[in-house]
Amino acid sequence: MISHPRRKILANLFAKYMYYRMRKTFNKLVVVSKPEIKPGHSILLLCNHFGWWDGLWANYLAYWHLHRHSYIMMQEDHLQARMWLSHCGAFSINRSSREMITSLQHGAGLLNDPENLVIVFPQGELISNHTTEIKVEKGIERLIKNIKGPCQIIYSCALVEYFESLKPSAYFHLFDCGVAGELSFNELDKKINAFHKQALADELNVEH
Amino acid sequence: MLYPKTNPLIRWIFKTYVKRLVGAHFHRFLYNNATVDEGKSVLLVANHFSFWDGLILFCLNDKLLKKKFHVMILHETAQKTGMLRYGGAFSVDKNSRDMVQSLDYAAELLNNPGNLVLMFPQGRLFSNFVSEVKFEKGVMKLIEKAQGKFQLIFAATFVQYFKHKKPSVTVYLKNETGNYAGKGIDELQNSYQQHYQASKLLQTEIDIK
Repeated sequence: MISHPRRKILANLFAKYMYYRMRKTFNKLVVVSKPEIKPGHSILLLCNHFGWWDGLWANYLAYWHLHRHSYIMMQEDHLQARMWLSHCGAFSINRSSREMITSLQHGAGLLNDPENLVIVFPQGELISNHTTEIKVEKGIERLIKNIKGPCQIIYSCALVEYFESLKPSAYFHLFDCGVAGELSFNELDKKINAFHKQALADELNVEH
Repeated sequence: MLYPKTNPLIRWIFKTYVKRLVGAHFHRFLYNNATVDEGKSVLLVANHFSFWDGLILFCLNDKLLKKKFHVMILHETAQKTGMLRYGGAFSVDKNSRDMVQSLDYAAELLNNPGNLVLMFPQGRLFSNFVSEVKFEKGVMKLIEKAQGKFQLIFAATFVQYFKHKKPSVTVYLKNETGNYAGKGIDELQNSYQQHYQASKLLQTEIDIK
């Protein structure tokens, strides 16, 4: 597993630089719905995964909207290609190796600190943005079971639209899935799928 | 009603600019093949989720259908972005009697087998994530007026990012052989809906590696 201590200055600079890059690339970044953030809880941010920008958007949400120190679980080969990200809070997971358990335990350990937020893509791979079902990988169950401190689980559904602009806009639908330890894996899976369908329905009425 | 502008030099500049714009914005431009009847004009019916739609289909026509491109756009858009008229755009005002004039003009264009008329029967912009496409009635009036002189093609466009920084666009085309003259809007809408759903399913099942 690749993991280095998170350098706060570097991570903050990265978040600010990426915000600048996103402002140039996107017309709007809109948080359509945001649940109440529970004080004293760390956050496990589960995001849909369909493209290159997902991790950067999740980092944007963590820094500018959820106000936590963000960590992100990345595929090992992807992180190896951008090792400097490990100093901004990225740590690796290799799904085909036994080290996967170490990565999940590391993620859970980070969530014991209420100041932290861990970004995970529960689908485990890139899946089309037009999918109506989110297949949550079993590893999430193990990750949640290992969290000892209070941790709020949030599902973030990002959808991209153009409407009148030549630049795309990203719309984020955030939902509160509950607190780790208070819901079973099956309940979480059902909630995420219901929230995803809700986000797709809400998307039809977003302002543009 | 505002008609297309015909200055050949500016039309060439417009075409070159749009092709470069689409090429620069999208990582990949994917589409399936559709056979074109050279003896008939083309009525292209498409979903409408962005300003890009017309530009994407303009390029698609240049690459594949190779007809003289025309598109029906809202009067406000034609006024605001006058340059689109060099690309074959003509206006329609849904709330005025001018609408009949626009439909007559479109029908007249379809009499010439060298022409293509693009129409967005949804009438305004909708999300790219709609599951049901609803048509306004104008397209039926055009089909009635231009009976049998055109080939009907459905286009369903989707944008996705995959693993690249830039998005990719996919246009799914279908030659629609049914004759809708004398029928209701529901029948056309249902046929388009079937094509849209099948295309969306293909888009959902794309293997992103």
